[in-house]
Formats: sequence, C-alpha cells, structure tokens
Amino acid sequence: MLERCIGERRLRQIQRGVQNMKLTFLCLLLTLLVLRGTIGAGKYGTPQQDFIELRQRFISHPHRALAEQNQPEPKPKKSDKDDEPPLRSLNDPYSLGPKISDWDSQRADWIHRHPERPNFLTKTKPRVLLVTGSSPKPCENPVGDHYLLKSIKNKIDYCRVHNIEIFYNMALLDAEMAGFWAKLPLIRALLLAHPEVEFLWWMDSDAMFTDMAFELPWERYAPYNLVMHGWDEMVYKDKNWIGLNTGSFLLRNCQWSLDLLDAWAPMGPKGPVRTEAGKILTKTLKDRPVFEADDQSAMVYLLVTQKEKWANKVYLESAYYLHGYWGILVDRYEEMIENYHPGLGDHRWPLVTHFVGCKPCGKFGDYPVERCLKQMDRAFNFGDNQILQMYGFTHKSLASRRVRRVRNETSNPLEVKDELGLLHPDFKAVQHHAS
Amino acid sequence: MGHEGVGFKSGSTRSGLPTTRSRVPRGRQIQKTFNNVKITVLCGFVTLLVLRGTIGVGNLTGSTLESEDQRVVEDIDRILREIRTDSEPEPQDPLSSLYFANSTAHNWTYAEAVEAVNYSLGPKISDWDQQRQVWLSQNPNFPNRLLGKHRILLVTGSPPNPCDNAIGDHYLLKSTKNKIDYCRLHGIEIVYNMAHLDKELAGYWAKLPLIRKLMLSHPEIEWIWWMDSDAFFTDMAFELPLEKYKNHNLIIHGYPDLLFEQHSWIALNTGSFLFRNCQWSLDLLDAWAPMGPKGIVRELAGKILTANLKGRPAFEADDQSALIYLLTSQQDKWMSKVYVENSYYLHGFWAGLVDKYEEMIEQNHPGLGDERWPFVTHFVGCKPCGSYGDYPVERCLNSMERAFNFGDNQVLRLYGFAHKGLVSPKIKRVQDQTSDPLQVKEKLDMAARITM
Repeated sequence: MLERCIGERRLRQIQRGVQNMKLTFLCLLLTLLVLRGTIGAGKYGTPQQDFIELRQRFISHPHRALAEQNQPEPKPKKSDKDDEPPLRSLNDPYSLGPKISDWDSQRADWIHRHPERPNFLTKTKPRVLLVTGSSPKPCENPVGDHYLLKSIKNKIDYCRVHNIEIFYNMALLDAEMAGFWAKLPLIRALLLAHPEVEFLWWMDSDAMFTDMAFELPWERYAPYNLVMHGWDEMVYKDKNWIGLNTGSFLLRNCQWSLDLLDAWAPMGPKGPVRTEAGKILTKTLKDRPVFEADDQSAMVYLLVTQKEKWANKVYLESAYYLHGYWGILVDRYEEMIENYHPGLGDHRWPLVTHFVGCKPCGKFGDYPVERCLKQMDRAFNFGDNQILQMYGFTHKSLASRRVRRVRNETSNPLEVKDELGLLHPDFKAVQHHAS
Repeated sequence: MGHEGVGFKSGSTRSGLPTTRSRVPRGRQIQKTFNNVKITVLCGFVTLLVLRGTIGVGNLTGSTLESEDQRVVEDIDRILREIRTDSEPEPQDPLSSLYFANSTAHNWTYAEAVEAVNYSLGPKISDWDQQRQVWLSQNPNFPNRLLGKHRILLVTGSPPNPCDNAIGDHYLLKSTKNKIDYCRLHGIEIVYNMAHLDKELAGYWAKLPLIRKLMLSHPEIEWIWWMDSDAFFTDMAFELPLEKYKNHNLIIHGYPDLLFEQHSWIALNTGSFLFRNCQWSLDLLDAWAPMGPKGIVRELAGKILTANLKGRPAFEADDQSALIYLLTSQQDKWMSKVYVENSYYLHGFWAGLVDKYEEMIEQNHPGLGDERWPFVTHFVGCKPCGSYGDYPVERCLNSMERAFNFGDNQVLRLYGFAHKGLVSPKIKRVQDQTSDPLQVKEKLDMAARITM
C-alpha cells in the first residue's frame, strides 16, 4: 500500500535510509553507553592526559637518569661474566685464608713493640674499631644514598663522642662471600691488619645510634670474645633463627675469633653450598623460612651444634639494645623523651635502632617504603638531638630537618656545660701518660 | 535503475543468488566497501574506548612487574617532594621592613646596610686565650696534644635534604668515606654538619658560625680544619707540616702574587683551610662575617667585591672573595699570622690533576702532597648535589670516581687489595695472604710506590 503511495523507487530509498539510520543509532547508543561507563566517572580524562602519561613513561625520569649514571663507563657484559668465580662444589672446602695458629702471641709481640698504639685506651676501655659499609655502586633507590649518608654521619657522631675508630667498607673482598656473608672476609682482614684493635664492632648500614650517651659496659665483657644481642633460651633451647642478631656485634681480636670465623664461613660460598646449607638451617632452626644460608642462621646453628666448643666465650646480651628492632621502638620516641633520658641504652632509650627489612638502598624491602624512610628520619633526629644539644640546638620536631636554638651564645662558653655532658665525657678522656 | 534495485535487494536480504553478484556494477561495490569500512572504523573506535576505560593507556604498554616498579618509583618521588617542602624557607632580609618604611627615596650603601642589620656571630669574647689556657690546665684528661701532635678537628658538611641529583648523595657518601679513611690514619676527629645553625649566614657562609661554635665548645682542639664536601684526599700518606705553622693562625692555599699584586678573586681557596683555636681567629671571624648576612647586605657587598677583585663575576658576596678583600685591605692587621701555602696541594683544583693519576702512579709515590701526588683534589664547580654545575656532569662524575679510587687504593693496600682500574669499583688482590701478617705489616710503608 505504501508502495502505491510513494512509488517503488522512493520506497527503496526510504528503506535504505532507515537501514542506515538503524545502524547509526545502534552505534551511537553503544558509544554513549561506553562513554558513560568510562569517562562518565571522571577518572580517565582527555587525550591530553594520555599524552602526558605516555610522555612521562618514555622520556627521562629522574630514576632512569640515575640508572644511566650508574655506569659512568660502559661495561661489556662479557667481562662481568669473566669476573664471576666458578661456583664452588659441595665437596670443595672453602677457606678464609691460610691457617694461623699463634695469633695471640704474634699480636702480643707486635703490641709490645708498638707502645704508641696500645690495645687499651684506659685500664678498662679497649681500642674499638667500628666496621660498617655499603656497595660501591649508587643505590637503585634515588634516596638510598642519602639515608646511607645520614647513617654514617650518625655513626661518626657516636664514635667521636666515645673515642671509637671507624672503617667504612665499600670493597667486596671475596666474590664468593657476597651479600650478608661479605663481612666475614672483611672482619678477618681487619683483625689481622690491626693488631692494636682489641674489639671489632660490626654494625649494619641500616642501624642507627639512638643513645649517644650510652657507653658499652666493657668490664662485663672481659671474659668473653663474642658479644651479640640475643637470648640464651631462644638460641640454645628454642634454636630460633632470630635468637640472636648479627647486625651489631663485638668480636675480640684473638685466636679464638679467627677459629670462630673459620668455623662460621663454610656455609657462605655462593651457589650450591649456600643453597644446600640453607636447607639444613631451615630444617634445624625454629621458624626459619626457606632461603639460602645467611650468616645469622649459620651462627645460631654453629652455637647450637658446637655449644661445648664456643658457648663459654659468647655473651648474648639482652640488658640493653646492642641491636634494637625498629618496629617496636620508633613510635615510642616521644614517650621516651617525656619519661626518660639518654644513657640507659635499653627499652627506655635504645642504644641502637636497627631498620631490619627496610633496605633503603634497594627498591623493595619487606616494609612500605614510606614508613621506613619516615621512621629512619625520626630515629636519625632522635639521635641527632643529643649531638646538637652539645652546641645549643635541637630539631624543631622529630620529623623536621630544621633546627632551632635552645641555648644562647655567651661570652663565657667554657662555664656552660651541655646537659648530657657529651662535650668532654669521662669515656672520651685520655690517660694522662698517653699525651 | 532496475539494476540498482536488484543489487541492493540481494545485498541486504542475503537471498540473492551468487550469480547475481557478478552483475553488481563498480560504483555499487565501492559504496558497499565504503559502508563496511565505516562500520569497521566505528566498531574499532568503540573497542578502543572500552579497553581504555578498563585497562588504561599506560598499562597497555607495560607488564605488571613494571607497573609495580612504577608504583614504588611514584612513592619515592612523592616522599622526595614532601621532604623538599620541609626545607628552610628563604631567610627574610632583615632590612626588608625598612625598605617599605623608607621606600623609594633611599639608596642603601653597604656601610648603612651593615649598620642597620647589626649582625654578630655571638657575644664579643676578648680573653679566649686565657679562658682556654685555664680550662686546659684544669682538664689534663683533655690535652691539646696527642702523642706530641696538636689535636685537629676536621669539619665538613652538606645540606640536610636529599640532593636534587641522586648521584650527588652517592658522591657525598664516597667523599665522607674518603675523609674517614684519612682521618683514621692520622688521628684526626671529624664533625659532619647537616644543620643550618644561622639562617642569615646560609650557603657557603654557613661555615663561619659553625667554626666559631666548634672552637668555643672544644678548647682541647688546637686546629679546626674546614674542608668542603667536594674535596677528596688523594694522598693518604701526607702529614700536615704543623711545625711550619708555629707562628701562624690561618693556613690557607693560595698564591701571594695573585693575592697582593693582582687582588685576584681566586688568589686563596676557602675550600680547605686551618684555623688555630685562639683569640686571633675569633677576631678574624668577626671581621670576616659582616659581608655574609643574606639579602641586601650580601648583594651590596658583592658589588664592592666585584669592583675590587680581579676577575670576579657579578654575584652576591661569597666567603672566599670576602676573605681576600679583608686580608688585602687590612694587610697590616692580619697577614703576619696568615700562611699562604702553595708548597703542597692543601687545595688542588681537579681539572689539572685528574687526568694525570696514572702517570703519577707510574713515576711517583704517596707522601709528596704536591703536583707529583696531590694531597687534596678539590672538585670546584662540579656541584654533583645540585642541578647545575659549571662543568659537564659526565666529566665531573667520572673524575670524582677516579680521584676516590686513587685515594682508596692507598687505603686498600694495607689489606692487600687495589682497584682493578681507576674507574672500577671492583678490587683485586695485589698481595697474597700469609700466616704471618704482622711481618708484612711491619714492612709496609704508606709512602712506598703503588703497584696496580
């Protein structure tokens, strides 16, 4: 009927038009639906935003620039591979160096010949060398080096006040003992090269001094050769892998220590040795996760399996925080400032706050980056305040890098004593005859 | 017309016999193709929109691991931004309130500005030598000599914020290790400063209040040795010849002819110098400080310095130019106690030294301290911590690495190691281990030639 009204040709034209319209409408509807679902929420914006995002991704990012500057000279990958030592097999024993059996007498002779470098600074205070270190390459994390710098400043301050020498290591002495095991060849080399040092104090780079006034109780350690933070029951009874901590410990310079290092080292060499050793450690020690052998677990294992040989010269210190796990300390600093004072070294005012698991130099630690960095700032300022008060200043708050004056200048500066007595403390005094 | 109708019908209803297709004319075909293309494009567009809405553009170009990376990097960037907003605000010019009071008419002169600001490092002390003597006699446990040598305190520092350029912090760390090594070998204490003690004397002037504060707090220290953070020790065996300076109170590297004849702004270098802890030094600091306060004083002082010192560009007063101007304009008062040292590199400008390290290793040995084996290599103008230095970044960083390793080799030799090359962080053993290490130690001479 419609045909007769309009005409066949016309009808077909209209039909065609309707088909087109149908198609157009369908597509428009779809488009609207999609747009409503996405752009409608307001989250994903205009093509300009896309452009900006793309540009940010591909054009130089400060992090990328750092990675480029990582290698000032292009190093062909091949030579790197040549440097890698072949992996040690399980039946090829590792040695830290030629066996020495008379170190005590060698050392005594040397000290006798060199009275200008005695191993004891006063009757009770030994000569101590604090050893720490980090990689010679820039950190992957762009702020990592800044926190390493603050950490070493913190150690410089404590050691200046307490008359302790520092060795900052940036060299990998033995490629087989890379990672956490690198401290063993280093410690041995330092003990042998510095007979005048009585105690070597290893301290991780992620550990900070938070009690500048606390002097270690050296007399307590006279009968011992190795002092670590830990608990006897947790090590010898529980065999717990965190029963002690090798992030901050004292090792006497003597034959016993060389023997201990030799007994400690075998689980360290990279490769199948370390992996297999890791399995033994996980099996023997309580709560230890599955991963390659680390120096701390190996120490627990050594003490547990060879207790009669070593335990009588090992002191597990828990009366103060020779190592203090940061997680339970950092939120309490304000409380400590209100209720206590420096010089206690324990839970009331920790000697050391150790940022285990934070790994500020790498990109991924076990904890959120922000919490780690913010708390490291607080710990640094907490310790730094005790140094600044010597000179009449303090940080504006534990989170702030800025300082304010708390003591006015005077024309009689020597009559003013700093509150904590850290300018000229007893533990820094030299014996009169030594001058 | 009839053809048209037939073609259309067969296309849309799909009931057309295959044979009819071959009879479809070109025009129709093109139009159909065009329609198809339109539809394809439309569908493609819709698909893109949907994908964009769900997956997001960025992630289309990367894997999930990279996106996690990206998130960590974003976190760190955000933290860096937060840290930077905690930095010191620009110190307010103490005279700014006066400008508005005496607005347009007044043109401040330097002398007027200094008087108006009335800056002082601290209350005037006139009897420091006596105060110090009394204290030393009352405190024999803190003598000013150890093993016969006068006690030295090395002072250095850097700003409390992370460097604008991350590699800058890495070289600050290496520079600090380098200083720790030299000072351990020579029995020198270190103070590393990261605090702004005086807001007015910020920047390169910050060393003045710091030096004064340390002198007054540590009477047992005989010499305060300021050293810039961009200066490296490259001669670990060299000992300062302190006996030479018995009658002097300021030891500074420079050239007398540049100083007295040419009044050159680089006649002396305040990147590495020693101040004796005494009244004379306090007086010099008081005379040095007036050009320092930030703002109008420093600007006007800068103009005076540029006018009077040869070669000085126009910029605000810096501590080095101010000291040169002070010592040359008040020669009679100060110069008798100033030792202008150039027999060794108490400060050694890096550009002329870093390329010669290999030659030095071959021909000379540590302990000389001069052009044959420089005591200090000072990276003036490199500014690795900031964003803009005066030299190409690559050259600076490469050279700093070389200087660091050159010095580090002299430390590592105590343990039987050396760097594989002056640019390499990797080390190699150069002396075998022995069961008689102390025999080796006895024979070790820090000033002996280095073998690499």
